[in-house]
Amino acid sequence: MSENSVYSRRLSPSAKSALSLFARYATILGLLAMIAAFSALSPDAFPTFNNFVNVLNQTSLAMIIAGGLTLAVIVGELDLSIGYAASLHGVLVTGLIVQSKLPIPLAILIVLALGALIGAVNGLIVTKLRVNSVIATLGVGTIVVGLAFAYSAGAPIAAGVPDEFLDLALGRWLFGIPNPIFVMAVVLGGLWVLAERTSLGQEIQAVGGNPAAARLAGINVDRIKIIGFVVSGLCAALTGILLASRLGSGTTSAADAYLLTAFAAVFLGSATLRDGEFHVLGTFVGALIIAFGFNGLNIFGAPTFSQYVFQGAILIVAVGLSSLGRMLAET
Amino acid sequence: MNPHPKDMRTLEATPFVAAKGLRKSFGGAKALKDVSLSILPGEVHGLVGANGAGKSTFIRILAGLVQPDAGEIRLDGKPFAATSAHRAAEAGLGFIHQELAFVPDMTVIENIMLGLPKRTRLGWVNWTATAREAAPIARRVGVTAPFDAKVKTLSIAENWLISIARALVRKSRLIVMDEPTAALSVAESARLFDIIGALSAEGVAVLYVSHRLDEVLELCQRASVFRDGRSVAELAGPALTRAALVEAIVGREMKPRQAPATKARPGPVALSVRGLSRQPKVMDVSFDLSEGEVLGLGGLVGAGRSELARLLFGADRAQAGAMTLAGASFRPRSCAAAVKAGVGLVPEERRAEGLVLTKSVAFNLGLANLRSLVFSPWLPLISARKRRALALATIRELAVKTPDIETPVGKLSGGNQQKVLIGRWLRSRPRVLILDEPTRGVDIGARGEIHHLVRELALGGMAVLVISSEPEELPDLCDRVLVMAEGRIVRELSGAELNRAAIIAASYGESEAQIQS
Repeated sequence: MSENSVYSRRLSPSAKSALSLFARYATILGLLAMIAAFSALSPDAFPTFNNFVNVLNQTSLAMIIAGGLTLAVIVGELDLSIGYAASLHGVLVTGLIVQSKLPIPLAILIVLALGALIGAVNGLIVTKLRVNSVIATLGVGTIVVGLAFAYSAGAPIAAGVPDEFLDLALGRWLFGIPNPIFVMAVVLGGLWVLAERTSLGQEIQAVGGNPAAARLAGINVDRIKIIGFVVSGLCAALTGILLASRLGSGTTSAADAYLLTAFAAVFLGSATLRDGEFHVLGTFVGALIIAFGFNGLNIFGAPTFSQYVFQGAILIVAVGLSSLGRMLAET
Repeated sequence: MNPHPKDMRTLEATPFVAAKGLRKSFGGAKALKDVSLSILPGEVHGLVGANGAGKSTFIRILAGLVQPDAGEIRLDGKPFAATSAHRAAEAGLGFIHQELAFVPDMTVIENIMLGLPKRTRLGWVNWTATAREAAPIARRVGVTAPFDAKVKTLSIAENWLISIARALVRKSRLIVMDEPTAALSVAESARLFDIIGALSAEGVAVLYVSHRLDEVLELCQRASVFRDGRSVAELAGPALTRAALVEAIVGREMKPRQAPATKARPGPVALSVRGLSRQPKVMDVSFDLSEGEVLGLGGLVGAGRSELARLLFGADRAQAGAMTLAGASFRPRSCAAAVKAGVGLVPEERRAEGLVLTKSVAFNLGLANLRSLVFSPWLPLISARKRRALALATIRELAVKTPDIETPVGKLSGGNQQKVLIGRWLRSRPRVLILDEPTRGVDIGARGEIHHLVRELALGGMAVLVISSEPEELPDLCDRVLVMAEGRIVRELSGAELNRAAIIAASYGESEAQIQS
């Protein structure tokens, strides 16, 4: 509580509630302001149906991996292995299809199972060996990079990828909307129901909110944490598969950058609508902000360096807003 | 072994510390009502009293951690206001608490000299000069560990010695020791007593706070007794006897016990415990708890009650012994297993271990009832209707004061938070419910309501185990009380025998007959 004293002592209750209101809606206001600004500056290119579908399509993969990460952070752990794992999954799924000639659905099932397995390993290391999750998942992530190199010998697997696999991410379904958007909608919808409306979700939130209390209420805390990591691992696998399909190749570092995007989205999301609490809907909004930001920078032809600046800055702003919300909630 | 005969020294000597008429309230609770106490230079002065008698508050006032509402403290006859821990230390007051305040990863010398190392002109720490200053003091109290050893590698006894050295380096003239032997072996205690004797001979006074009356009798020239926030006795010389101490601790007034209004007929045995042990805090504990019974567990802080509760609830595993729950063998491997078998726990630390503070009242009430909130086991979706119905019914039944069921539970008062925590077990109906300090930090009105609620639960057939450090609480609430001391059940009290005085006496290992004599 002492770290909050600055806020609790200096601010009147009304100022505090105003600040809390600002922290809750700042992200949504920011998103709307950004869309309005880009629309005004580039009325022909930005505010079009096609561009919006394009942005959503581009960000669907990030949203899926960030959605999974959300469950891991709700149980109170960080998962740094997701980017590397998604890269491995992309390499593996193309390899299984192209080199091992496995049927596409079987290859996807194997990779999803591997994703769940990596998550379970992360969870077991964190709960049973009591290794801090940052270290555990960084270690597992690095091993995963090694596995990807071992499997592919470092060379992209690109030749001979069948069209059926490419169609997965490049195909379109109802109203000509690209497939990844549907996959994303189903995954995020499912995660939202899981976290907010099921008994398992209540246990997940209790473990994240107060592990000691959850344990004494009869909840198996270790099991719940492992489930959080498994969900995170599964979503990383799905993102890896879709990325390989979109790129038409399996490349050892193709999905690494999703790690940073996912964290920025999750933390931005925790400052959205709730006081520093992680939740799936928030992650969706957070990912949208990042996607529109990048899209705007692209449309205006901003130089490459500015995109890195944008991504780093948004991560810091996101975590800052998130902890501001939490401080205001506690005082 | 006591180097000093129990002479009165020179009573005319100006006391080093003289506290007079100290009062202190926390919120509505009066922790100190009228406390006076004087400590002579070089004296070993005992301080005893039951839990909640005001010892800790008095020590905290001396240490400058809280300010008294009224009264004065004089040092060497001059008025002294301990407005901060730093000022108390400067004035020559040293404190050694039960949980020693150390930096575990630092070395012996760093901990002794924490905050006051010698510096060179460049501002570097001059370790040679620092060690030169600390060495004689360390030798004096018998610190044998090398100066560069990390304190976390040392025994508790050695940590005590280092704490004493730390107090002496700061030129303390009074060292307050709170339950010093609680974690020491017999041999280590003997060594500590020698050192206390040596300190006293050198003019350093010791305020020896302990539940162990034999040690107080052996070590102290004088002893003060606190009861209910007042200093009720100061005993010295031939008047300082075990019987006199116990009588002062317990008090004479024997308020007739208000037997529980709703007397339940005890049913069949719900929980049977035989020879349960987990060294060193729980030793060979056996008892039966019947359906419809409220069983109290009394004793001093540290007697092993909470540790026993952890064994019953599967938070720790027993080393020996057996339990049966409703006739079936009961060996919980985890809290989850205990809950599944039908045991509920309302923990002592309700904010840290009981509630998810940022979550709503409805969320917290639902945590132990998730299975009854879903549509079906095959469709584990939470039914908003069932969740709301459960929350509203519980709130109404327990008269929880909350704006609505979605209010974060952290915003409620202590009493209402406690009701939410108990309410969690209202629907899932465990066979055995364990309540650890159910009314600590709860205002008097809510306290009565919680007591009533506990009786109601028992009347409904639940077997209830209540742990309480307040001897007043148990006689009014319980059908039967077990008193624990040093990990064992030392007394079973029921019927006419069950009163506050008997519980306190048993906590100190006395029987009532001995007090009366």
